[in-house]
Amino acid sequence: MSQFYLTALQLALCLGPMAMGIFISMKVFNIPDITTDGSYTLGAAITAILMSNHLPLYVVLPISMLSGAIAGTCTGFIHTKLKIDALLSGILIMTALYSINLLVMGRSNVPLINTLSIFDIVPIFENAQLNQLLIAILIVSFLIFFIIYLLKTDFGLAMRATGNNPIMTKALGINNDRIKIIGLALANALTALSGFLVAQYQGFADINMGIGIVITGLGSVLIADTLKKWFNIKKINGQIILVVFGCFVFQFVLAFTLSIGIDPNMLKMVTAVFVLLIVALPKISQRLIKK
Amino acid sequence: MIRIENVSKVFNAGNVDEVSALKNVSLEIEAGSFVVIVGSNGSGKSTLLNLILGSFFPTSGKLFINDNNITQLPEHERSKWISMVFQNPANGTAPDLSILENFRLAALRSSNKTMKIGIDDDFVELVREKIKKLDMGLEDKLNQPIGSLSGGQRQALTLLMGVMDKTDVLLMDEPTAALDPKSAQKIMELAKEINATLGITIVLITHSLKDALQYGNRLLMFKSGVIAKDINHDEKQNLTLNEMYDWFV
Repeated sequence: MSQFYLTALQLALCLGPMAMGIFISMKVFNIPDITTDGSYTLGAAITAILMSNHLPLYVVLPISMLSGAIAGTCTGFIHTKLKIDALLSGILIMTALYSINLLVMGRSNVPLINTLSIFDIVPIFENAQLNQLLIAILIVSFLIFFIIYLLKTDFGLAMRATGNNPIMTKALGINNDRIKIIGLALANALTALSGFLVAQYQGFADINMGIGIVITGLGSVLIADTLKKWFNIKKINGQIILVVFGCFVFQFVLAFTLSIGIDPNMLKMVTAVFVLLIVALPKISQRLIKK
Repeated sequence: MIRIENVSKVFNAGNVDEVSALKNVSLEIEAGSFVVIVGSNGSGKSTLLNLILGSFFPTSGKLFINDNNITQLPEHERSKWISMVFQNPANGTAPDLSILENFRLAALRSSNKTMKIGIDDDFVELVREKIKKLDMGLEDKLNQPIGSLSGGQRQALTLLMGVMDKTDVLLMDEPTAALDPKSAQKIMELAKEINATLGITIVLITHSLKDALQYGNRLLMFKSGVIAKDINHDEKQNLTLNEMYDWFV
């Protein structure tokens, strides 16, 4: 039973960067970006192919993240320069990425056999699972600090203000289009990083691994948003940490669902219903309070 | 100095709902002056302000600031010369950001936003001193989201934010329209002080004829997309409210 939850914890950590990416696109920039489904698989596909060709991880990691950043840049460019709705821009790039991912992998599934993953390179604990957990915690902790720092810098303030009030930011000398493109590039680089981690964690990359992954990230951000309101958390530090916590909650709910014997084929349905509940519950409870 | 040469603006050109908002307007506004613009709705006064700000470009004609041709310059690139106070207090600030964070961005209006944390103790003290002068008790709420403040408080802060960085021109589009009389007076007095002490050119649009009489050293009246009246400081001294009302009849 505990294996379910340990796996959930590990997976939550691996998906943490993606959740932070969705926080940046959705909460910081107010852009519903669903490039995520494609850039997540792209990160995993590039990781699998490069690792299969025995390239070192310090080369694989930046290339994987860069690929996600390029995907985000394309979405941002279509949205800001061609003035196409953000949702449609994301759908277009996500669709195109399906073919690109197939092209990168050459087939629908690439296993990682006889390769040393990021979770194996620093053997701190003898227990492989504990080691994986520690490495994932270190990576996610570093990212949390990095994102918090970034959003507190002058550039980060400009990012947050652009999503909050684009009329003001233009008047304050901020090029809204450029900063949105950079933001989407960063968000998708983080998503690709999750692809990089998950591919190594599960030992393969699959063309369908990204389908619906945006819902997982979205769910984590929505859980964070609900908790933020409950606990009246206004500072950006707390919000970022809550997003990762939201990821844990989300994965634990899925693990619980599996542990009570629900058919794994129903997992996507459970995911959708869970996200619906997160979105609907605050509104339902508000109505009940009013009555 | 602002120079406007034969500027016209046509909206929805070629369509049945074509509107000629400005017709061949030429105007020179000297540096340091305080120009008040009045006119009925649809007279073209806000169109002029938005053309100077860069929200849209003119159909024909040219615009200059300090002899720099800004006719086709995007809004964010004009911000090194121009600050704006919008009619809606919500437009001038980022509601989820704190007072300090909003002021930090305002202080960087004409410079690059880099990857360093710019809000240090010195900056906090600088903002605190500036806000203290408003006498609204906001100096102790610097970390509070600006969206939680009242419209009047936000508008006063927007005005201060407008002069946090060096600026030549302050555009004010009906800044007191959404405010109570007390807050409105505070905003107008603050604008007057900024013009007098910092020498910043102010272009103010207002529907309050009383304010138009009381403030500024030049008065323009727009009617059907042209400047119908251009009253200088001396003429303005002898102008009465009744005479101004007659302009609108």
